[in-house]
Amino acid sequence: MNFITKKSLDRRKVLRGLSSVVALPLLDAMIPAATALEKTSAKPIKRLCYVYVAMGSNIKKWTPTSKTNLDVLSPILTPLEPIKNKLNVFTNMELRPAYPGTHATSNSTFLSGVRAKITESSDYRLGTTVDQMAAKVIGQETALPSLELSMDMMDTVGQCDNGYACVYQNNLSWSGPTTPLPSEAHPRLVFEKLFGEGGTKQERQLALRKRASLLDFIKDDMNKLKKEISKSDRAKVDHYLDSIREVERRIQIAEKNINTKNLKNLESPLGAPEVYGDHARLMFDLQVLALQGDVTRIITFQMVRETSNRTYPEIGVPEAHHPLTHNRRSFNKVAKINTHHVSLLSEYLQKLDKVVEGDMSLLDQSIVMYGSGMGDPSVHDHKKLPILQAGGAAFGIKGNRHFVYKKPEPLANLHQAILNKAGVDVKYSDSTTPVSL
Amino acid sequence: MLLRYLLFPLFMCPFINGAELEIPKETQKLLGKFCYDCHDSEMQKGKFNIEDLLSKPLKEHLEKWEDVLGHIDARKMPPKEKKRPSEEQYESLTQSLIETLDKLAYENDNPGRTSSIRRLTRTEYQNAIRDLLDLDVDATTLLPTDPSSHGFDNITVEGLSPSLLERYISASQKISRLAIGRSYNKPEGRTVRVRPDVTQEDHVPGLPHGTRGGVIIKHSFPQDGEYEVRVHLARDRNEHVEGLFAKHTMEFLLNNKSKASFEIKWMKHAHKIDQHLHKKLHVKAGSHDLGITFIKQSRVIEPYYRQPYESKINYHRSPRQSPAVYQVSIIGPLSKENKGESPSRKKVFIVYPKNKSEELSCAKEIIKNLARKAYRRPATENDVKRLLPFFQEGKELGASFDAGIESILSAILVSREFLFRVEKQPEGILPGKAYKVNDLNLAERLSFFLWSSIPDESLLAAAENKTLGNAKALESQALRMLDDPKSKSLVTNFANQWLYLRNLKTIYPDGRLYPDFDDNLRQAFQRETELHFEEMIRENKSVLSLFKSNHTYVNERLAKHYGISGVYGTRLRKVELPEGVKRGGLLRHGSILTITSYATRTSPVIRGHWILENLISAEPPPAPPNVPTLEESNIPEDLPFKDRLKIHRENAACASCHDAMDPVGFALENFDAIGQWRDRDGDDPIDNTGGYVDGSKFNGVEGLEKAILSRPELFVKTFVKKLLTYGLGRGIESTDEFAIREILRNAKKDNYAFNTIVTEIVKSPLFTKRLSSKEMH
Repeated sequence: MNFITKKSLDRRKVLRGLSSVVALPLLDAMIPAATALEKTSAKPIKRLCYVYVAMGSNIKKWTPTSKTNLDVLSPILTPLEPIKNKLNVFTNMELRPAYPGTHATSNSTFLSGVRAKITESSDYRLGTTVDQMAAKVIGQETALPSLELSMDMMDTVGQCDNGYACVYQNNLSWSGPTTPLPSEAHPRLVFEKLFGEGGTKQERQLALRKRASLLDFIKDDMNKLKKEISKSDRAKVDHYLDSIREVERRIQIAEKNINTKNLKNLESPLGAPEVYGDHARLMFDLQVLALQGDVTRIITFQMVRETSNRTYPEIGVPEAHHPLTHNRRSFNKVAKINTHHVSLLSEYLQKLDKVVEGDMSLLDQSIVMYGSGMGDPSVHDHKKLPILQAGGAAFGIKGNRHFVYKKPEPLANLHQAILNKAGVDVKYSDSTTPVSL
Repeated sequence: MLLRYLLFPLFMCPFINGAELEIPKETQKLLGKFCYDCHDSEMQKGKFNIEDLLSKPLKEHLEKWEDVLGHIDARKMPPKEKKRPSEEQYESLTQSLIETLDKLAYENDNPGRTSSIRRLTRTEYQNAIRDLLDLDVDATTLLPTDPSSHGFDNITVEGLSPSLLERYISASQKISRLAIGRSYNKPEGRTVRVRPDVTQEDHVPGLPHGTRGGVIIKHSFPQDGEYEVRVHLARDRNEHVEGLFAKHTMEFLLNNKSKASFEIKWMKHAHKIDQHLHKKLHVKAGSHDLGITFIKQSRVIEPYYRQPYESKINYHRSPRQSPAVYQVSIIGPLSKENKGESPSRKKVFIVYPKNKSEELSCAKEIIKNLARKAYRRPATENDVKRLLPFFQEGKELGASFDAGIESILSAILVSREFLFRVEKQPEGILPGKAYKVNDLNLAERLSFFLWSSIPDESLLAAAENKTLGNAKALESQALRMLDDPKSKSLVTNFANQWLYLRNLKTIYPDGRLYPDFDDNLRQAFQRETELHFEEMIRENKSVLSLFKSNHTYVNERLAKHYGISGVYGTRLRKVELPEGVKRGGLLRHGSILTITSYATRTSPVIRGHWILENLISAEPPPAPPNVPTLEESNIPEDLPFKDRLKIHRENAACASCHDAMDPVGFALENFDAIGQWRDRDGDDPIDNTGGYVDGSKFNGVEGLEKAILSRPELFVKTFVKKLLTYGLGRGIESTDEFAIREILRNAKKDNYAFNTIVTEIVKSPLFTKRLSSKEMH
């Protein structure tokens, strides 16, 4: 499709294109750009992706039968067949700090490994999530240290888990104990975040210059404000100034990238598709593009929000997801939903594997982790989590393996192992011994 | 026990300091008599020890005492099965506690402290743009959702993450470009989808009569010029156009005037059927209504299916009878023409240079006007000094005066003073002292409370002249503002959040069980509740009118749902309720009943919790750890739901909360998961036996309403607290209870009329004063 990378900007063509390409996945557009990138990659670039699916799974239909390999995949994991040589599945992992079992903690503990403070107010407290630990090390060379994505463009109020502020359920990624990072679900806005309004190189450069001067303006404002307020409030303004510096840095990198990266003329997608699968595909495609253009190296994607009442009529599940998970008799339908999500993941992994840089695919240079912070959703437990990992061949990660732990293995140990493989020398939460990857 | 009770006065003596306030002796006796059975030092049931509390200085335990008062006032304590005070004793207990606590609060003089720095919410931002620039933008496409706490999204508004900052920058540029309408060097696109669960067989409100289905889109056209409009029809999963059994005529309308007409007919190649549905329209700059609709046809064959509720699911059981609009794209401008005179240009260009030499002075004047309104304070020379470089830069890059102004506007829209409300305390004030909020901050407090937007000219002028800071001025401003259509934000922003109406659009009742549910019904639900609330504001009714009403607002669709005959058309109108129709009042609204249900069944637990939390501030505490869920327990799954919940409540840990929630919810069991009346649930007759926090028992919704209205103070107090939380932008503390009681006392004289509650709130010290920072400046 022609809305992502184009050689020329023939207006008639654009107009004809605009109304028809609104929501289609980007893949076709990416391929030609990939060949242009071929020569640029000398040593592998480390990238980490975390995909979260809420409300556990039908674990019986998730777990492969063999205790060592993935020669025979389980019903839910079958869509991953084409990519299983770069895939590992982990059985009997647990997320202890998420107890007592709730949706809020499933989501918030998944990447933080920390117990969420029980509060519905603004004094919420969690911890730095694994992606952000990595972003501080390997995210600094890109325009965006990390990218936070989700699927829900809704603004529910009041119906979050009893006792927990909505931030725990909405935000997967936290850059600090009190700083949840808001995620973006609208494809057009994700595109703008990654590539601005697009356009030609000159147009993009000019746009950056304007942004920089607006940023200077608000920076002056904040510096002035800091002198006029009380001590405790000054800390807040310092936070704002940190944010401003961060955006400044992004602009500088973006300016540099315009000249060095091979993304030429970019056109933004216009809307968000109505059908879940189409929307998810588009979000995954944007991730491929973000990694390929080296706009970011760390991505978190909340593919399903905890307590989501989304329905999936397109795959024959017109009932809302959350209530289904509370009735074991409807677990076949839960499995159907799980399979749908896995098949979308599989498409993404295959796309990553098709983009080749040097002699390695993008998937080989990315470690993708996928899973849920809840095990059996009908009882809100946090054991026997559905967890898998893909990619990472460039860092010595083999595939087609099924790790089955006799005793419940803390998820923290997988996080730690992935950080180690990515060369991030940080101790993660309460990890004991990293799992062997 | 008895011995302890007799010793009580002696026991207390040594701890009493003559100067300190204390609970009166008589009251202490009553408390001892009725509370010590469970809450003395020995029992400490629920980890609460009132004996110990009585022995400590009152001043340091205000919060606990307010809690005690709350429990007694609501008649939650002592529990029904224990020895309870007579109604007179209850009264004297509450009165005495109130007097003591009020005295204490009066001495403390603590008006609370809303955060000094608060960002505008997304809704406030959108309204501010509307009022500043006369420009309609959809902020949901520009900014992320605001997190919610204490039930509202304007509480946790201190953060400014890098991504949010980037979004503000992008939004400011987009909006200023749209407002100025300078030549676009490339067209922009907007695509609007009609929700797939909208039934399009009938007239759509806002479109001309004689039309059917379609959509009406409010769009801001940045400049005079040609815009291409393109329409796609709804298709089923086999890619066939739905409902195409005959020829149809589609119309494109601009401000309800026909601009183009198309014939739609069946073709062998389905993709060709709507290929011709596009047209370039010449549009003047500004906000216009674009309507896409079909000419209504009389049906040859009456449809024998039920009305469709969602296209994809209804493909088999209730397919569309006529084609429907799926999406509309607006692309443009495609021609370079002059900028036109849009309302937003009129707002910005209060002067316009006749020649180059006037440009600078005009720019200065425009800056002063915009900065004053956007910053909510008098403009200064420094504002001009700081913004002029943007004018120069913009003018240079865009080679026009307009480009310079556009650049100024984008800077104003990212400035701290536009995006943030800051309340600074007076110089030299001691830490932890109450002070009067200055007039400019007070004007902001008023406008963001009543309009969710920036002050208008009258309010800003009053603040600049420092004539706002007295009760009379506040009251008359508040009443004037309530009269203004902008006060609709109290419905769309406050009530929608308070009652969880915002969640309605994310609720999808099970399509098989409730095949009649579609977005048309969802919208009617929402409008009914909004209109009911709006009526209370517009007619200055008592807030108790939210419960009891002999009329309600319905359209044909909702009337059918409620079993009311003789209502036709899509517009909601006021209808007197016929005998036997059990509607009217919040608790009977389809909206509330649906929001508090699961997709497949009702949930007395959610309904009970909703009522306790939102209507009478008696929400149970968060579930304690290690409480088994219904599924984890060993309760047989084949028992009726009510019996399973009953067994669940037999577990003491579960009972502590469910005893309060479930009975309240059970009173509403006659309404199913989409609010329709039912006498049976499957084969079982409905058991609508309910109960209330005071331990009373009753049947059905009438009983519940009666119970709530028997002690209206509980509800009104909750309402006031919710309105205060929203109006102050902070959670309510026990130190606020004193001021709240004062508001209630004054509002009661007016039978809790809505306007009186609002004016009492804005005159209250909680609103006009603020506590200084605890540390030295």
